Amino acid sequence: MIKNGTTDGNSTPARPRPLSPNIQIYRPQLTSVLSIANRITGLILSLGAVGLVIWLGAAAAGPQAYGVVQSLIGSWAGQVALFGCTFAFFLHLCGGIRHLVWDTVHGFELRSIYISGWTVVVCSVALTVTAWVISLFIAGWPQ
Amino acid sequence: MIIESSDRVSRLSWFKRFPIPRNFNVTPESRIEKGRTWPAPAYAKRVKAFEIYRYDPDSGGNPRLDTFHVDVDDCGPMVLDALFWIKNKVDSTLAFRRSCREGVCGSCAMNMDGTNWLACTRFISDMGTNATIYPLANLRIIKDLVPDLTHVFAQYAAIEPWLHSKTPEPEKERLQSPEDRSQLDGYYECILCFCCTSGCPSHWWNGNRFLGPAALLQAWRWLTDSRDEAKGERLDALEDPFRLYRCHTILNCTRTCPKGLNPGKAISEIKKAIVEREK
Amino acid sequence: MNRRSFRSPLARALGLGSAKSGAQHWWAQRVSAIALVPLCLWFVVSIVAHAGSDYAVFVAWIRTPLATSCMVLLLIALFHHSALGLQVVIEDYVHSDVRFAAIVAIRLGCYGLAVIGIIATLHIAFGG
Repeated sequence: MIKNGTTDGNSTPARPRPLSPNIQIYRPQLTSVLSIANRITGLILSLGAVGLVIWLGAAAAGPQAYGVVQSLIGSWAGQVALFGCTFAFFLHLCGGIRHLVWDTVHGFELRSIYISGWTVVVCSVALTVTAWVISLFIAGWPQ
Repeated sequence: MIIESSDRVSRLSWFKRFPIPRNFNVTPESRIEKGRTWPAPAYAKRVKAFEIYRYDPDSGGNPRLDTFHVDVDDCGPMVLDALFWIKNKVDSTLAFRRSCREGVCGSCAMNMDGTNWLACTRFISDMGTNATIYPLANLRIIKDLVPDLTHVFAQYAAIEPWLHSKTPEPEKERLQSPEDRSQLDGYYECILCFCCTSGCPSHWWNGNRFLGPAALLQAWRWLTDSRDEAKGERLDALEDPFRLYRCHTILNCTRTCPKGLNPGKAISEIKKAIVEREK
Repeated sequence: MNRRSFRSPLARALGLGSAKSGAQHWWAQRVSAIALVPLCLWFVVSIVAHAGSDYAVFVAWIRTPLATSCMVLLLIALFHHSALGLQVVIEDYVHSDVRFAAIVAIRLGCYGLAVIGIIATLHIAFGG
């Protein structure tokens, strides 16, 4: 009878060996959570880049098209999306700077990793709130 | 909040797993089913529950999660001691690798409470209320907590972990200054437990082609060895979008290394060396 | 015996051998990131400073040479960085043969959108 698996791990037995769980049981840590957040914010910003081109195209098309796009952005859904994009931008920016520092082979001790990680989170939130408070102050609070 | 060294256990109890189903995206043979519960001995005063991944290749069944109640006063302080207690007193079919019991051989590497570490250097008191013990993540399981390390060892062999020399052998030793020897510190101490590789999400998704932190740490160990004469060939072999550049500096490896080593830093040094020879 | 492959574990780990490339992609990602830091900050500061203003003000701002050139540079750097990043994401998660088509589509899409954005900017800056 063919036993499950073999010693060289190379054959296809009657019943393949199970794979131990990975993401289903591995503990989320600051390292992995900030890394996936950097990736998710990058994906969001890619969509935002498409939006940027649409916005520029509408402006090039004339004031009517620009007005349509501006009213879309000005709607509640648009403002929520814009807030999300702003937060995604600042998180990706701070995370990206952290990555650039790592590329110079600095800041790899666990203490530095955790301090820089929490700094990224705090700075992103602070910058997002600051940007929105200032812009609401300049534009006037929405009716 | 700020982790100073990798032996600090995370205390957060509310974010122990990513919010995905337990058997998310697993193949049918890997689905974990409910196992049996083994009761605590009647005389035990301090009891701790351990949920342990079990797989019996001879039974034809799926892996399951058994719950053992361990008399903490009757066994040593480490998780490995609890495993021995279970094997000796409750269920002798529990299979796990072990050797030195002092954190230097790397045999007892496994996933405890969600993070990879050596069972012989993890205190039972550091484990949560229901301690969970799984084998090293994302590896084929031979039995219970024994993973098949063939592929990860093959990736280690692929980086050619031996001295490459072109000049003829010296009559006596190959000389190395203390400064050159200090370049190996933090890399030669690796015990090949594969906690880092098994905890790397990039290796989970691309483990067939991405070499993983353990092999890459050793690749840097040989690159930075002043006696080695094949740096160019080693860097050529590593400069590959999958072998090296699947590393996105997630840094789960550095967080989980039971010897306190820094694979993330070693990989960053390799990337820097590759760019330096281009510019 | 029903063995899937008789290749040794070492042969499977070595695969098709090293591509001996990949540093250029990594370097381009970093250079575009460094360029994006000041360009994006300029963009966000400008948007915040012009919050709530109308079409005429916006056009007048884009028409300034600094704004036109920064916007063009931003679009180039942004879509290059985005194309490289999305390619890495696809390589990570897509393992079927769809991978090649997806990477080509993403690259062409990013560069196409960059060109559209640049032309729109120049249209606003130099148009009537």
